[in-house]
This record gives sequence, C-alpha cells and structure tokens, in this order.
Amino acid sequence: MLNYLLRRLLLMVPTLLGITLVVFVVMAAAPGGISAQTLVDGMELEPQSRKALEDYYNKLYGLDQPAPVQYFRWLNNISPIGFERNVDGTLGSFSLWKGSDLGTSFRYGRDVTDLLAERLPITLLLNLISIPLIYALAIGIGVQAARDRGGRFDVSSNIFLLGLWSVPSMLAGVLFIGFFASEQYWRWFPTGGLMRRETASETFLPLFASFSDVLIAAACVAVLTLIFMQLLSRLSTSNRRWLGVLMGAGLGYLMALNLYGHWFGMLHIALMFLFAILMRSLFGLQNLPLRLAIAGSLGLGLGLAVAAQLGVSFLQNGYLLDRIWHLVLPIIALSYGGLAFLAKLTRSSLLENLAADYARTARAKGVDEESVLWRHVFRNSLLPLITVSATLLPSLLAGSVIIESIFSIDGMGKLAVEAVQTRDRELVLSVTLISGLLTLFGYLLADIAYAIVDPRVSYD
Amino acid sequence: MTEQALNRHQQHRSKPWGKQVLAALLKRHSARIGLIWIGILVVIATFSPFLASSHPLYMLVDGKVSSPLLAHLSAQDWVWLAAFIFTVLLAKWSRPFWQKLLLWLGLVAVSAVVANTLASPPTLIIYEQYREMQAAGELDQVIYAPIPYSAKDYLRDYANTGVEAPLEATERTHWFGTDENGADVASRMIHASRIALGIGFIATGIALVIGTIIGGLMGYFSGIVDIIGMRLVEIFEAIPTLFLLLSFVAFFGRSIYMMMVIIGITAWSGYARYVRAEFLKLRQQDFVQAAVACGLPLRSILFRHMLPNGLAPLLVATSFGVASAILAEATLSFLGLGLIDDPSWGQLLNQAVQSSTFNWWLAVFPGGAIFMTVFAYNLLGEALRDAVDPHTNRSRRA
Repeated sequence: MLNYLLRRLLLMVPTLLGITLVVFVVMAAAPGGISAQTLVDGMELEPQSRKALEDYYNKLYGLDQPAPVQYFRWLNNISPIGFERNVDGTLGSFSLWKGSDLGTSFRYGRDVTDLLAERLPITLLLNLISIPLIYALAIGIGVQAARDRGGRFDVSSNIFLLGLWSVPSMLAGVLFIGFFASEQYWRWFPTGGLMRRETASETFLPLFASFSDVLIAAACVAVLTLIFMQLLSRLSTSNRRWLGVLMGAGLGYLMALNLYGHWFGMLHIALMFLFAILMRSLFGLQNLPLRLAIAGSLGLGLGLAVAAQLGVSFLQNGYLLDRIWHLVLPIIALSYGGLAFLAKLTRSSLLENLAADYARTARAKGVDEESVLWRHVFRNSLLPLITVSATLLPSLLAGSVIIESIFSIDGMGKLAVEAVQTRDRELVLSVTLISGLLTLFGYLLADIAYAIVDPRVSYD
Repeated sequence: MTEQALNRHQQHRSKPWGKQVLAALLKRHSARIGLIWIGILVVIATFSPFLASSHPLYMLVDGKVSSPLLAHLSAQDWVWLAAFIFTVLLAKWSRPFWQKLLLWLGLVAVSAVVANTLASPPTLIIYEQYREMQAAGELDQVIYAPIPYSAKDYLRDYANTGVEAPLEATERTHWFGTDENGADVASRMIHASRIALGIGFIATGIALVIGTIIGGLMGYFSGIVDIIGMRLVEIFEAIPTLFLLLSFVAFFGRSIYMMMVIIGITAWSGYARYVRAEFLKLRQQDFVQAAVACGLPLRSILFRHMLPNGLAPLLVATSFGVASAILAEATLSFLGLGLIDDPSWGQLLNQAVQSSTFNWWLAVFPGGAIFMTVFAYNLLGEALRDAVDPHTNRSRRA
C-alpha cells in the first residue's frame, strides 16, 4: 500500500506540471499576451515613471524574457527545491529547503499565498458541507427508487432527477436570488456574502433575551417535531397524503399572504395547489427514515415560527445562525445537480446488485428483503459511488465558480473569474495549480477508499 | 423454403445495427420528447430571420413591391437555410450514413463559399426606418414577421426603452419583455437558438474527432503510447474545465468559432477514455488481427474496422456531451465572457439580476430555454444508453 501511495504521489508531479504548462501556454500564446506594457497600460503616468514601472515589473516577474524562461522561472519559484532568488532577481545558490513562493498578484499587489489562504477555506467550506449532504440524500432517494423498481416513485423520481440534473446552476442561483432574496418577492435570505457586518462582534451561538425564552423555543420545536414524527410514522399512506395536502395548502396560503398582503387571489390558489402536491408526495413516501427526516425539519421550522409568534426573540442572532442563514441558498444551488446524478447512480447500482446471484442466494436461504438490501446489496453498491466521489470534487469546484459569482461570495471560484478577467498570470496559475492538486488528491482518496471498502481490490 | 419466407428471413437478419438502435430509441417516450424539442429548435434556428425581424417580409411603396427581409439575409442565414434543405433532401436517400454525412458536409461547405461571395446584405442597417415610414403613411401594404423586432433592434425610435416586463408597453407588444438595451427578448432568444445548436454540434464534433483519434491510438498501440496518452487525459481531466474555458476565452478573443474550438478542445478527454477502453477490448479480436495481417493501413484498421464496433458508448457520451457544450457556452456568456453583441441565452439570463431589481422574464424564458435544450439532450442520451445496451434489452424481454 505504501509503495502504491508513493508511486501515485510521484505520478502526480508530471500531471501537475502538465496542468500548469497547458495554462501557461494558453496565456503565453494569447494575442496580446502579458507583458509589462499591458500591466502599466491604463495608468496615467509620466514617460519616465512608466519606464521605471515597466522595468520594475520586468525584473519582478521576468516578463521581458522568452516564454519558456518565464515558465521555468515560475516553476523554480513555486518548487520547494531549487535555486534561491536574490533580491535583484538573479538566481542564487541551489537549496533543498528554500520554500515555495507563489508570487505576487498583478492586480491585488499581494502575495498569492495570502490571497489563497483567505479564499480557499470559503470554497472548501461550501464543498465540504455539500458533499455529505449530497451523499445522504442521494442514497436515501436512490434506495427508495431501487426498492420500488418500476413503481410510481421510481418512474417519477427518475424523470424528476434527470430534469433536476439538467437545470443549469446559474438558472437555479438566479431564481433563488430573485424570488427568495430580493425586495420584490419573499425576502427570506440575504442576497449575497457570507455574513452581515454586525455579526463579527456577536456571540457564536444565538443569544436569547431570557432563559424562559430558550425553554419556550425548545419546547415548541420538541413538541411539534414529536407530533410530526408520530403522525408520519403511524398514519396509513392515504391519511398521510391527506395530511400533506392540507398542510401544503396551508403553507402555500401563508406564503402568498406573506407576499401579497390581501386575502385571496389567483396566485394564492396556484401556490396552495403547488405546495399541496409537493407535500402530498413528500408525506406519501414509503421510506420511513426519509419521512422522519422530513418530520424533523418541519418540526424545527414550524416550532421556531410558533415560538416567534409567542414572543420569543433573539437578542443577537449569533455567528452560527447568521452563517447558516447565508449558506442555505448557495448550498442548495451547489448541491442539487450532484444530488440528482448520484441518486440515479445509486439506483442503477443497487438494481444491478439486487439482481445478482449472491442476492438471490441470500433470498433463497430465507434472509428477509430488508437484510438482503442493507447487509448484502448495499455495501456492494457503494463501489461506484466511491469511484464517482473523485469526479464530484472537480465538478463542485467548477460549480462554486458560478455559485460564488452569483451570490457574491469571496471564495476561490470568484477569485478565479476575476484573475482570468484581469489577466492576472500568477493568480491564474496558482488557482489552477491548487484546484488541480485538490482534484488529484480527490482521485487518490477515492482509490484508497475503494481499496478499504472492497477487500478484493489490492494495489500491491 | 419458399422465396417469400427466405426474403422475410433475410430482411429480419439484415437490419443494420444503426436502424435497430434507432427503432429501439423511437419506442421510448423520453427519446421522442427530446427529439421533438431538438427538431423544433432546429426549425426555429433555421428560420429565425423569418420569425423575428424588424424588416418587413413584403412591402408596397409607391406601387413598387420589395422584401427588405430577403435583402437583409446574411451569408450565415443562407447557409443555415441551405443546410436545412440538404438535410431534408438527403434524409430519404438510401445510402450509408457516413456517405450521406460526407456529402452533406461537402454541400454545406460549397454553399458557405457561394453564400459568402454572393450574399451582400447592406452593411448599414436602420431598423426603425420601416416603423417611421409606416407612421408617416408611406407604406401602402406591409407584412411583418410574427415578431416584428430584430435581435439587435434596440428600439431607438422609442424614447425611453430599457427593461420592460412582458406586455408592459402599450404601443408595442413584447411577449417576453425587453432586455436592458431595449431589445425584444423573444427575438433575441429565437436568434440565440442558432448559437446554442451550433456550439452544441460543432464543439462536440471537434471533441469527438480529437478524442477518437487519441483514444483510438492509445487503445490500439497500448504500452508507452497508452501511458503518455493517459497522462494527457488525466491533465485535461484534473484541470476544472470551467477554469480552462475561462482562461482560454479571456486570453483569446470572443468569437463564436473560437468558442466552438475551445469548448471542443477542453471536452475531448471523456471520449478518449471511452474509445480507448473499447479498442483495448477489440485489439486482440480475430477480425482486427485479420485486418492487420492483410496489411491494411492504420487509418483503415482504426476507423473502418474497429471504430464501428466500439461506437455504442461513444454515441451515448456524445448526446450528454452536446448538453454540456451548450451548458458551457451559457455559463461563459453568463459570466460575461461570451459573445459581445450577439444574442445568447446565458447573456440574457445574466441580465436578470444585473440591475437593482429582479427581472423574472429575463430569468424564466432564457433559463427555461437552456434547461429544455439540455434536458432534451439528456433525455436522448439516457434513452440511447438503454437502446444500445444489450443488457437492458435482454432484461426487458425477460
């Protein structure tokens, strides 16, 4: 295993070199390219100071040298093993521990390392929340669809998921912002950013006005959650559906009331109808864990709403709540595509294994269907999900470019767009290098996980 | 055995693989819906100048009949029309598909040359002149296109044009509203369908050619060629495609042809993987060994003998690939790196939240068009996967 790991890590080096080379060649071959003149362009300067600035840039980035030399210069700068660089730009002695330097951004005039250290955690936060969410929901839906093969849930979820997969994330983002964050419609969520400015001086957890408020809020949430859990686990399917229709219509009506103010209209009916159908299908699910999750989230939401009606209010919203509030829309917009893809994959993988010989053998032995599914089939069906996890990270990174631009979140994706638009060479190269590195590590992790889950796979 | 039975037997056996797949495909509702939407889109794209144009289709001035719309047709319009007519004509011709494809490509190329030399639309286009003539009562008879606004007609003759909701203006009808420059959204969407379709087909075509050649060489030769090729594939897969697209577009101007080439160059790695996997399986088989033993040239072995046998996964990937190429163009336009003045769905979608207010018609209609097109290709790809997969067919019958 160690041997294999070492080999894989070594193989990463040429790939990373190739990645940076491709991007560098694109930039160097571009008409107009990057030179000290283009950097100085647009500034109102005296000829002498312009010349001085050009010389300074040439010395700093080596822009007057031929492209291959520039590339090797950049490589030498980023690799921890290489020639030390003197203050005047000439090469010094060879060193094994000189540390890597990603250079200075043309546009920001700051160290790229600092910029990335600021931006990368935000993008990683978005992605690391999305991935478990995607997997949990996708496995839930996929298992349900596979169990119900050819049934109504299977067929409708199949079409629905394919549709969901086809929704461009920028459309989802724009619609979310337009309908749920703008002044014109429901102003439930913030339009962008990751926190309000006031939150910086607030506590981490929300601060209640008094202790009794905490108790009231907790009691509301607990009671409503328990009621929903009881209802959704005890009632028969048809009763649950009727309950869903009623609740959906009620929620739709409240939502329309919130927006338009007046008591009744066409849009009220349309929203009531829409929500009634949605809640009916959610409550009618045959999968108990999924229903309990729905009950839990409904209880939490409605409990807090009821508590707010009873006069419970926060003294301070606190950092945590504020962060969650800002993250809801971006996370949904980032994760639904991967969710749809993975749910479909889970379904097909489960179906393949449910029809396999070993599953039939287990059934013939008298193992009940639940145990066949969870103990025998499910573990084997995880393999393709693990393989796909490697490609999930790059697609999420690309998705966060769009999402961060729409929701104006200052993450690495937005940095990449800005860097490319301003032809900020050092930044473009570093962002590509980092995302390439993350992707390759994703592949490696997936391969290792594969070996751990499937004992038949051995890399030695 | 009677002659009739023999005939029937032969007919049953000699049905080519392409026809079998097509028949299996058309049995599925999802594939039909996808194909119908793509068909509608092709028709809209081909006849877009006749559907939405500020120039009248027919007008009578001082007893003189003229058609400004026909006079303003650009070379591109003529090529689209010619390509459409060739497609309809060739569809019924019973020849092998690749022969028809080659002939079609040749005819389109010839018509492109002819159109570019012959068509000379006026370079100075005044969109509002006909409306002004009509207001002055100079037009005796006039017939407009269904949507009487061109994609780049910014309604300069109306004083305060800008973002308008659908049917908001009283003196004009804009079914889908107007964008921030005052142009009709429906008209821009109709003209943008060409970009979506063109990018989808040509970018995927480029990716397919590169991917097939590299993947084919990798699979056929294996060994050292394979190792180097796989590193190349890995490089292109490890760079997030969007980053690469962004840097390509930002550093090389923004023309539609450049965009097609760029999307094609960044999308080939998946096809190379599929072709390589198929060719690795095929290279040891007898018919390939026989072809090699006959001393056939490499080109013939790879593309006439091996490729048709490894086509199935490529076909499915192509359908999904067209969807992602369309999505890539829309994303670039959305991020403000698309075409500058030409209409594009992504660019319209971008305007929905650009101003301080949210303009829902700029999100719903263009976004809906992107969604429908991507969905259609995904439906087609899904149905194709079932149709070419012998495994599902067998389990379906059983």
